[in-house]
Amino acid sequence: MNKKFIPKITVFHCINAFTENTHSIFVGRNDFEVKFIKLPCSSMVKDIFLLRAFEAGADGVVVLVCPEGQCRYVEGNIRAKKRVAWVKNLLDDIGIDGGRLSLSNIAAGDTAAATQIIDNALKNLAELGQNPAA
Amino acid sequence: MIVAEQKPLSEIKEIIAPYKKILILGCGTCVKTCFAGGEDEVAVLASALRLACKKDGKKIEIEELTIERQCEDEFIRESAPAVSRSEGVLSLACGAGVQALARRFARTPVLPGVNTTFIGVLEKQGVFTEECSGCGNCRLDIFGGICPVTRCAKKLLNGPCGGSQNGKCEINPETDCAWQLIIDRLKALGQMDNLRKYIPPKNWSTSLSGGPRKLVREDHMI
Repeated sequence: MNKKFIPKITVFHCINAFTENTHSIFVGRNDFEVKFIKLPCSSMVKDIFLLRAFEAGADGVVVLVCPEGQCRYVEGNIRAKKRVAWVKNLLDDIGIDGGRLSLSNIAAGDTAAATQIIDNALKNLAELGQNPAA
Repeated sequence: MIVAEQKPLSEIKEIIAPYKKILILGCGTCVKTCFAGGEDEVAVLASALRLACKKDGKKIEIEELTIERQCEDEFIRESAPAVSRSEGVLSLACGAGVQALARRFARTPVLPGVNTTFIGVLEKQGVFTEECSGCGNCRLDIFGGICPVTRCAKKLLNGPCGGSQNGKCEINPETDCAWQLIIDRLKALGQMDNLRKYIPPKNWSTSLSGGPRKLVREDHMI
């Protein structure tokens, strides 16, 4: 990874999948900057919000949703998955690479999984580099 | 409703390339319902274009606005101040909306951002199907409310054709056979006798084949 490149990641998360008090697991890490956007359900992650995160300078966007079949609102995480897939295609069309956006299912309180997801996103961003539209 | 589909981003980029200040104008009626040109789609397209232009190192100013209907001058007038601030208008309305804007704003280029596809219905969430061809001579009364002109691949008025299999069209097995639907519906309505009626060849002069059509209501004119 380029030493000067400190990736900016915006994390959209369902408050049932990733609770606010677990934000602290990333405190102290200086290999990336993170911004959390809390959602009452991941189905609220509209396409425009994802795009605006990139417009605001994010190099990568991670969406954390409940495991399939465990959405409190039945199908919110399925809707989020479809929307994220649609925006990934749009990012490819824009030319900034749909790989900058990812969605992961995560069980509430599974901080090890959350760390793994962010580490994977960072690995990916190390290859993709800075958001060319930032 | 009129169903439309947003053009690919690459084509839109090409269309707006000559302009540095554009207005993306949405329409809050049909194209909003089919997710092609309402307020949400205006916002997403504007954001995508801003990102694409920034990535390409191009400077562009994009203003966003959605009006209730682009096919009526009364609503179009609301967009006049925004139109006057732009070099071109990218309309996300159907072809009628684009032309109504062009008529109103003689000196501003009006560009299409969607492909107008058909008159249809929302079959289920996210699926739109063509159900009317606007032929100008509706006989849905005979066909139990199912249009063979639009929904039969062969446009048969005295069907079925014999190629229907398991209620599906032989042209496209994913499409319901319109004549199967007509027969099922007439059975349910107790109107199977309608099938004994001979339907003469259709007079297509009332359709677009007779040239652009105009409807005049003298009683509404001053």
